[in-house]
Amino acid sequence: MSEALLVQEAGAAPAVAPASGARSFWRRLRAQRAASAAALVVLLLVLTALAAPLLTALAGQDPNTYHPDLVDSAAGGVPIGSFGGVSGEHWLGVEPQTGRDLFARIVYGARVSLGVALVATALQIALGLVIGLAAALGSRWLDQLLGRITDINVALPVMVIALALLAIVPAAFPRPVLIALVIGGIGWSGMSKIVRAQALTLKSLDFVAAARLSGRGTWSVARRELLPSLAAPVITYAALAFPTNIIVEAALSFLGVGIKPPTPSWGQMLTEADTWYQAAPTYLLIPAGLLFVTVLALTVLGEGVRTALDPRAASRLRVGTRTGGKEESA
Amino acid sequence: MRQPSVISRRVAASTALLALVAGLAACGPEDTKSAAAGSGAAGEPKKGGTLTVLNSNPQQDFDPARLYTSGGGNVPSLVFRTLTTRNREDGAEGAKVVPDLATDLGTPSENATVWTYTLKEGQKYEDGTAITSADIKYGIERSFAAELSGGAPYLRDWLIGGADYQGPYKDEKGLDSIETPDDRTIVFRLNKPEGEFPYLATQTQTTPVPQAKDTGTKYEEHPVSSGPYKVVSNENDGERLVLERNPHWSAATDEERKAYPDRIDVRSGLDAAVINQRLSASQGADAAAVTTDTNLGPAELAKVGNDKKLAARVGTGHFGYTNYIAFNPKVKPFDDPKVRQAISYAIDRTSVVNAAGGSSLAEPATTFLPERDSFGHVPYDHFPAGRTGDPAKAKELLKEAGHGKGLTVTLTHSNDKDFETSPEIATAIQAALKKAGITVELQGLESNDYSDTIRSAKKEPGFFLSHWGADWPSGGPFLAPIFDGRQIVRDGANFNSGFLNDPEVNREIDEINKITDLEAAAARWGALDKKIGEQALTVPLFHPVYKRLYGEDVKNVVISDWTGVLDVSQIAVK
Repeated sequence: MSEALLVQEAGAAPAVAPASGARSFWRRLRAQRAASAAALVVLLLVLTALAAPLLTALAGQDPNTYHPDLVDSAAGGVPIGSFGGVSGEHWLGVEPQTGRDLFARIVYGARVSLGVALVATALQIALGLVIGLAAALGSRWLDQLLGRITDINVALPVMVIALALLAIVPAAFPRPVLIALVIGGIGWSGMSKIVRAQALTLKSLDFVAAARLSGRGTWSVARRELLPSLAAPVITYAALAFPTNIIVEAALSFLGVGIKPPTPSWGQMLTEADTWYQAAPTYLLIPAGLLFVTVLALTVLGEGVRTALDPRAASRLRVGTRTGGKEESA
Repeated sequence: MRQPSVISRRVAASTALLALVAGLAACGPEDTKSAAAGSGAAGEPKKGGTLTVLNSNPQQDFDPARLYTSGGGNVPSLVFRTLTTRNREDGAEGAKVVPDLATDLGTPSENATVWTYTLKEGQKYEDGTAITSADIKYGIERSFAAELSGGAPYLRDWLIGGADYQGPYKDEKGLDSIETPDDRTIVFRLNKPEGEFPYLATQTQTTPVPQAKDTGTKYEEHPVSSGPYKVVSNENDGERLVLERNPHWSAATDEERKAYPDRIDVRSGLDAAVINQRLSASQGADAAAVTTDTNLGPAELAKVGNDKKLAARVGTGHFGYTNYIAFNPKVKPFDDPKVRQAISYAIDRTSVVNAAGGSSLAEPATTFLPERDSFGHVPYDHFPAGRTGDPAKAKELLKEAGHGKGLTVTLTHSNDKDFETSPEIATAIQAALKKAGITVELQGLESNDYSDTIRSAKKEPGFFLSHWGADWPSGGPFLAPIFDGRQIVRDGANFNSGFLNDPEVNREIDEINKITDLEAAAARWGALDKKIGEQALTVPLFHPVYKRLYGEDVKNVVISDWTGVLDVSQIAVK
């Protein structure tokens, strides 16, 4: 490895190190207008989900109360009034057939959709890190074994396995937790591959070698030397995996094996709405639109995070990198 | 009837949605040659043309021994004539049983344990040979063969020696309890009085099958027709069934089947949304189309309601059917009648009806028997819950039962969406009982698991959604399987879910079975239903209403209270 490259790599590591690194990261993120807007949208959604009981109390509604008088029973239960029965009390109208408040179901549904995706993503990170690091730092034999397991995991059809698993687990097991476990437990292979590749590169660098020569154990090295340097790819990957997990939860709920009633989730709401797309279009459009906006915002944010953490891309932004100008001129 | 799995239906629904978005490419009419005349449903029905039947379930097991029908079925009844049949009239008149191959409804003797029928003269099969009473005997006997099972259990239960008979392939001697003294006479000997035997004789098992033409399990591919149409082709186990006129059928001996179209083309395996979309578009061959198995769903009804022309092409009917909550009194706290009554009071039938598709698709029920004359329906409401439930009264009863601080129970339902025992119905009940301080936990089971669980005496849950339909429009097949103590089945499918074994109820069932005057029997069934209702072993929820679209060229729509759906034997397309 050439000396120049060594310097560059070594220089990259402290760039994501806590204090100044975090600050410059935020600065680089803020510099991207799309990412900032996306971050704002995500923040709003998260706050909405967290404040669901507060918001529904403000609206004077709750997600599970039936309002049979607000739907036209003789016409199949279509909401009475325009735009799906929008009124001062029911801000987004009511659900066909039941008359349950759509706003309340949407904000409570956000909790499930975002919560499940969050736990699933965390699980993917944890599994990916452990397996990737073990493969990179363990014996050749362990690397081979974990490599094959990862290959098999890549080849697994996520939806089919999830459908099978969700069908056999007893109904008593809390459904949102189960779905998060299933999504997280199946989809870790991408993360582990990235971690292994990155860890193998880092392992041969001087500062890691120095740490090992000083007699520190493998896991100590992994924790103190490798993990900080892995932060960038891991955060980037997680930011992109999160919206995918929201989609998977929605798809599972849409296929009828996800969240159980009466708990709302956006995917489950889409299932209920699928026959109503002509008679009560807002019922379908609201959860579908929110799902679209959320996933788009998270994806844009993920891309922004990746850019902000990538020193080369960051240099192109011309902010936060003191060496940026010099590198370019070089 | 078994429902297709949730997943496959959901996938199908989403594909249908995609197809619609893609400009209806996948749902176009299959045959555009016979252009729509545009004459509408009015006018005198004439002979000729092709009637298309668009169905979701294939006509599997098109063998008279294997079909489980009420009144001989709809499409099957075009090919199979039976000893008696249902009256092809609108409404209550259509719930009456009338002679078909036989000259009358049968002559009972020896306290309704012996039934004698005489066949009309000059009735022939599609090959011109004469229909004989021996063929009817053989047709019934082959329904006892294990490889041709699938029909209703009544013949096995009622005929002397029926319980042990293995069918004609294993026992060539046949059943001694069916006698054929001559070619036109057939005598049935039963092990107990059964005044409703004429109703049972409408089922396809009494269709004549010539022994020489019997091909066992392959018979369904081309059963020998005794009706106005014969099978021309049967593809993919009943997925596409084409029927054409049987030249040897004579309208003179068949007062019930009108047989206007020249050809019947049954296309099955279609998604419900596609069927309704095609019927509402009514393009090409679909203008002369009906469905015999697909109802309008709530969202489709909402759409049809906005379109007067479309609304005029909707047939409405009532089939004898009740959706109810069943209790297992062996499971606490449902052993306490006060708890069962409290739940009865707390039910919000408006929410339940809405969950089932609204007041056009479901009628609130407070009686177990359907609200039709032929069932002898006697109105009662022992635990009046009003329109939306009486939680105060429910709380009071719970307090008396020692559950003043509230109660937590588990409600078992099926996971099938848009089905009568669906999560939607269960959540409506959950919301209503919450007002009475009852916390309901939902236990959703996949469809097969669900029916196995609720029909097993050993695994039966304490509190679950259930449903019951009529094998024929009378109180007998409605009340006896559910409330007759001698019909509790320890191993196998048990329908007496309340494990009621009340000597008084049992005795009354036996007494009514002796009555051969069907109207007199109906009145007694109605009174018995009212009496059993006092025990609160069930909470009747709703009776479904069937709404089905038909094409623009379809005429002579007849919907009886027996089947609740338009009768294909009456329809004309010219």
